[in-house]
Amino acid sequence: MELIHKLKSQNKNLITIAMIKRTYFILIIFFVLAFASEAQQIPIIIKGATVHIGNGKTINNAYVAFDSGKIVFVDSIMRNSYKNARIIDATGKHVYPGLFLLNTFLGLNEIDAIRSTRDYNEVGEINPNVRSLIAYNTDSRVVPTAKFNGITYMQVVPQGGLVSGTSCIVKTEAMNWEDAVINEDGIHINWPEINHYAKDPKEQQKYLTEQQAKLITFFAEAKQYQFKLDNHETNLRLQAMQDLFKQRKILYVHANSAKGILEAMQFIKQHQPIKATLVTGSDAHLVADEIKQSNIPVIVNLIHSLPNRNHHDVDQPYKTAAQLFNKGILVSIGFSGSWESRNVMYTAGTCAAYGISSEQALQLITENAAKITGNEKSTGTIEVDKNATLIITEGDVLNMKESILIHAFINGVECNLENTQTELYKKYSKRYGIEAK
Amino acid sequence: MRILFLYVALLLTSIVIKAQTTFNINGPANNTLNYIAYTHAIVYVNANSVLNDATIVVKQGKIERITAQGAVPKNAIEVNLKGKVVYPSFIDLYSNYGIDVPSFNKNKNNGEQFNSNKAGAFAWNEAIKPEINAAQYFNYNHQDAIALRTMGIGAVITGNQDGILRGTTALVTTANDEPHYTIVGNNITSSFSFNKGNSPQPYPSSLMGSIALIRQTYYDAKWYVAQQKEKNLSLEAFVNLSNLPVIFDAGNKQNVLRAAAIAKEFNAKYIIKTNGDEYQRVQEIKQTNLPLIVPVNFPKPYKINTAFDAELISTSDLKHWELAPANLYFLWKNKIKFCITAQGSKEGDFLNNIRKAVKYGLPKQEAIKALTENPASFINANNLGDLKDGKIANFIICDGDLFDDETSIMGIVIQGKSHKTNNTPDVVLANEYKINSNITLYLKKNIATINNDTFKLKASYHAGIANFILDGKTLINYTANATIIDSAQYPYNIKELSGFARLSNQTIENWVAIVASNQNKKQESKDSVTILSDSLIWYPFNDFGNNILPQAKKVHFKNATIWTNEQQGILTQTDVIITNGKITAIGKQLPCSDCEIIDATGKHLTNGIIDEHSHIAITHGVNEGTQAVTSEVRIGDAVNADDINIYRQLAGGVIAAQLLHGSANPIGGQSALIKLRWGASPDKMKIENAAKYIKFALGENVKQANWGDGATTRYPQTRMGVEQVFIDAFTRAREYERKLKTDKTLRKDLELDALVEILNSNRFITCHSYVQSEINMLMHVADTFGFKVNTFTHILEGYKVADKMKKHGVNASTFADWWAYKYEVIDAIPQNAAILNRMGVTVAINSDDAEMGRRLNHEAAKIVKYGKITEEEAWKMVTLNPAKMLRIDSRTGSIKQGKDADIVLWNNNPLSIYAKPEMTFVDGICYYSTQTDELLRKQVAATRARLISNILQAQKNGADTQTQISEQEPNYHCND
Repeated sequence: MELIHKLKSQNKNLITIAMIKRTYFILIIFFVLAFASEAQQIPIIIKGATVHIGNGKTINNAYVAFDSGKIVFVDSIMRNSYKNARIIDATGKHVYPGLFLLNTFLGLNEIDAIRSTRDYNEVGEINPNVRSLIAYNTDSRVVPTAKFNGITYMQVVPQGGLVSGTSCIVKTEAMNWEDAVINEDGIHINWPEINHYAKDPKEQQKYLTEQQAKLITFFAEAKQYQFKLDNHETNLRLQAMQDLFKQRKILYVHANSAKGILEAMQFIKQHQPIKATLVTGSDAHLVADEIKQSNIPVIVNLIHSLPNRNHHDVDQPYKTAAQLFNKGILVSIGFSGSWESRNVMYTAGTCAAYGISSEQALQLITENAAKITGNEKSTGTIEVDKNATLIITEGDVLNMKESILIHAFINGVECNLENTQTELYKKYSKRYGIEAK
Repeated sequence: MRILFLYVALLLTSIVIKAQTTFNINGPANNTLNYIAYTHAIVYVNANSVLNDATIVVKQGKIERITAQGAVPKNAIEVNLKGKVVYPSFIDLYSNYGIDVPSFNKNKNNGEQFNSNKAGAFAWNEAIKPEINAAQYFNYNHQDAIALRTMGIGAVITGNQDGILRGTTALVTTANDEPHYTIVGNNITSSFSFNKGNSPQPYPSSLMGSIALIRQTYYDAKWYVAQQKEKNLSLEAFVNLSNLPVIFDAGNKQNVLRAAAIAKEFNAKYIIKTNGDEYQRVQEIKQTNLPLIVPVNFPKPYKINTAFDAELISTSDLKHWELAPANLYFLWKNKIKFCITAQGSKEGDFLNNIRKAVKYGLPKQEAIKALTENPASFINANNLGDLKDGKIANFIICDGDLFDDETSIMGIVIQGKSHKTNNTPDVVLANEYKINSNITLYLKKNIATINNDTFKLKASYHAGIANFILDGKTLINYTANATIIDSAQYPYNIKELSGFARLSNQTIENWVAIVASNQNKKQESKDSVTILSDSLIWYPFNDFGNNILPQAKKVHFKNATIWTNEQQGILTQTDVIITNGKITAIGKQLPCSDCEIIDATGKHLTNGIIDEHSHIAITHGVNEGTQAVTSEVRIGDAVNADDINIYRQLAGGVIAAQLLHGSANPIGGQSALIKLRWGASPDKMKIENAAKYIKFALGENVKQANWGDGATTRYPQTRMGVEQVFIDAFTRAREYERKLKTDKTLRKDLELDALVEILNSNRFITCHSYVQSEINMLMHVADTFGFKVNTFTHILEGYKVADKMKKHGVNASTFADWWAYKYEVIDAIPQNAAILNRMGVTVAINSDDAEMGRRLNHEAAKIVKYGKITEEEAWKMVTLNPAKMLRIDSRTGSIKQGKDADIVLWNNNPLSIYAKPEMTFVDGICYYSTQTDELLRKQVAATRARLISNILQAQKNGADTQTQISEQEPNYHCND
């Protein structure tokens, strides 16, 4: 897998060269096809659309061109012309970077109630070595409905326990997980916290202390493990942690209460140098200044939630991400869930209604998501040399009633937007003799 | 001295004083005269009359005579109570003192236990046990008796406290004696609750189920009298005791109202045991006109060390800490009859908390009444409650005014017998002693406090010598004895202490301490009374509650974009006027001289959202899913007006909702239709004269498919069985209806009554449904029995049978895009609503979820996205269409002259993700606006800051604290 991955990235470099040296174009295409399932066949130019770059900026009536899976220009004037290019007239339409869905377990879960389709929660409390990637179901019937809404990348996250496992960033259209993977980005831990519903506060505190001690011990052992001698026995759990200390993976710390967030940040600080991100909820506003000071990026989970406590503002979950964003914190948003995660762009829309602009809200699920997961070099915005992963919509992608996808491209390849739902829609519309609009 | 020692003996030994007994006597009879005169006491004959220097003559457990300066009969023993104050001892109406009912059964079945396992001809449900006669299970319990006596309680109503119908209670005293003598009466009251307790039967699992079971039992009893087929000892007991008052352990203020509603329905006499939060709904409770039994277990200051601790404590808990001590004051002020129970109070807190209530405005006389006369009168105990000739000699002896913090209950006389309390001192020490010695003493704080050269001691008494262990500041092993020098009256007053000290060098030094001169100074400085204003009470008692409820106003919305939901469609730059809760005018540039004007330029005005399928605002259980058919239960019995989600949904533009039973069984419970009148009582929430609805359900939930491998015994387990449940239920209902017409003695069956209403189209079905086969099936069942299914809710495969649904005339209330959460929704599609709509079925988009309920405008917008319907059509799916399904469309659901002013003003197109309600009106009353919300947020923040600072201050002052993590209301879904 590693080998294929390296070859692929070499191909990408070659493609860039090919754009200059057009003589090699055909040859390169063949080369790419030999390794990837599909690749962009001809250059594509989208014209006339409002292009939302993903970094807060827009270009009206713009031209976006991509070739060999890479964006070659984005401008208000035509920079180059291709004889054989496919031209998509998107006048009045909108172009966005492919959207990121972070902190989901879609792809590890098909039908919530059916145990045999649940693959997100492994036995035991400490599972850094379990990898979501190898269980990611590219043939899911649910994932295509997320793609239908413009989601091209997902962070697929194992759930449960103290250390849930290793997440991955995948494409939402792929033939198999090797084809799907962008990277295996990080390890997720759940910070032990006070739960509202537990009856006995003292018992609860005792349990929390024990759980926190387990985490702290485990991290200490993991650090010690880097000095393991050859004759020491292998421990897969501790071994899996080494990428964190080498800063090859990100530590995602899930903490929701204000107290938990502060403790989690302290924990992160104690393990420096380490790359870390907080995955948090609507209590984060209570400690926004502390988060800002810590310089730790944040994924705000489940914007469409009820306030954590009765005395919180009724719109607190809606505005938390905006409050953090406006403090200058690197913020993205997540949607822990399965089928319902396909609505992540509307939760970004809600952020736009509660404190930031639409372009900034878009940034949460594009550029910032790419940055947080370590993929900003190739994804997240519509900028030259980045992967041509983008979507074309009728209107504002964050606003349900206009958020209608016309095309989606991943690495320049057009996605199939049909799914079981659209098939059933057509089948029954036909049966009734009504139009499947 | 002779008298004195006798009294000591009276205090310390338990004398068996029986004139005549049925017992076998082993040895010579030991009868005594039992004749005592308590003299020179200040006696509160009752709360309002006091005798000074009174003599109470007690003979054979009764008060023979009570007079001021009365003479001591010559053969009576005199006990001098000079300087002591006597009150009638307290009566507690809520206790299980001395009761030990063996619990009969555990569930021996595999799976659910549908019927009682109790052997014998008793009720079908183990939570119904009116046959329990408390007196039969009563025995003296020394430990508990001491605690009660220490609190001043001389008599209690005691009984079984497990189950719903708990049997009868007994009136017993707390005297140390055989039950033969302490039971004053049995079968004094019945005892009810909403809590099924230890019964292993799952039914009833919900509050509404408990209510239904109580109601059905009343009807069963009525039937039982008129029939001869069945012997049922439980019903027989219930019938025989129907004239007794009922002590109903209700709990919180809303449960008080629920219990009162049952009392009203059956014209029963209830005495309602509360939990001390009645001030939060005092007006409604007053209207019930029922006497209350109120605990005084006020919360302690919550332990707050950090801001995070405070964050875990709800505002209502913080406010309750502030207001709970004033509960009795508010009850008294509102002329509500009440008595006080020690239930929930620790021995040491009980009296202190009553004193606290007095400091919070409860008049002392009222406190005394609530402890004595009131409870006696509630249970018609004429021989208790005050001190009059001929009554049972039950009184407490205090060393001062009962309401002084320093006062102790030193002794208690019960049925003429003296008893110690834990406060009964053996010796009484003066406040201060002056040390007549040159030794510097340092005393442990728990033994004594030092003030320069004087000290104050607490003592234990043994054989005439008080022993103290004193720690010397410079000396070690310093022990001292104190001897009683003089005692002319009860109890012994120690005027001089003497002792010796063993010094570190092993020499012994004597010392003497005498009473400091100003020993008898009594702190006259009374604590000032704090009267809390009722403006501190919010309605509802939750965050964002109001002290004063908003009123309907005359409002002129100018220049809005109006989504009429009528033929005119969307009108731009149009005015709307609302008056007295109705929409009174719609048009361009309307005139209005006395209106409040709202410039709605650039804003959108719509009817508010109506959620056809909601589970907010429900107390304790949305499902009575313990039987396949539970049409007898009513969500309306369990409406929770305090639910914060009511306010949150107003902030999302929702004005009304159908509160539905869950989907755990094929025939669920009856719905409640409410408008979101934030602050109103549960009853006022309900829509007046609304049509009647009931929840049905199909598929995986009702066949318990996802309940784990244990749930495999209840019928039905298949979709085949689900149909049979319906056919059977409606067949029985039809036969029941036929018999009702001829058989006057027929047992009234609440379950079948509701089904008969359905058959006669007087009650309408909202049916939880997913797959096409079962949807089709229920329409066939309905057709067979001659009625129509009103609404299929969820109905995610409705698109597969849209033509059949249209033909049947059923409505569809669905989700926008839910799917894949279980097998039966695998074919759900987000275009479902659009197909049904195109096929001419009336479609609503509902929430089934407190969170999504406040974003239903967005869910409607998804139908525009997925199904390309018009925005107007989409908007109707969350307003007019649900109104039609709920048969309230003649009054709400569109902007039309004469309809209720249930209006939302939006800052944007309501279907837009950027839309926010700026104002939400229900019946012309603005229950939410961004402006008032801003004020309420400040009110919440300021209140929390004030109370947290008060608690921190109390902590600083050394108050005892309690750790608190406030519970949050559960958010219910269908299958909860």
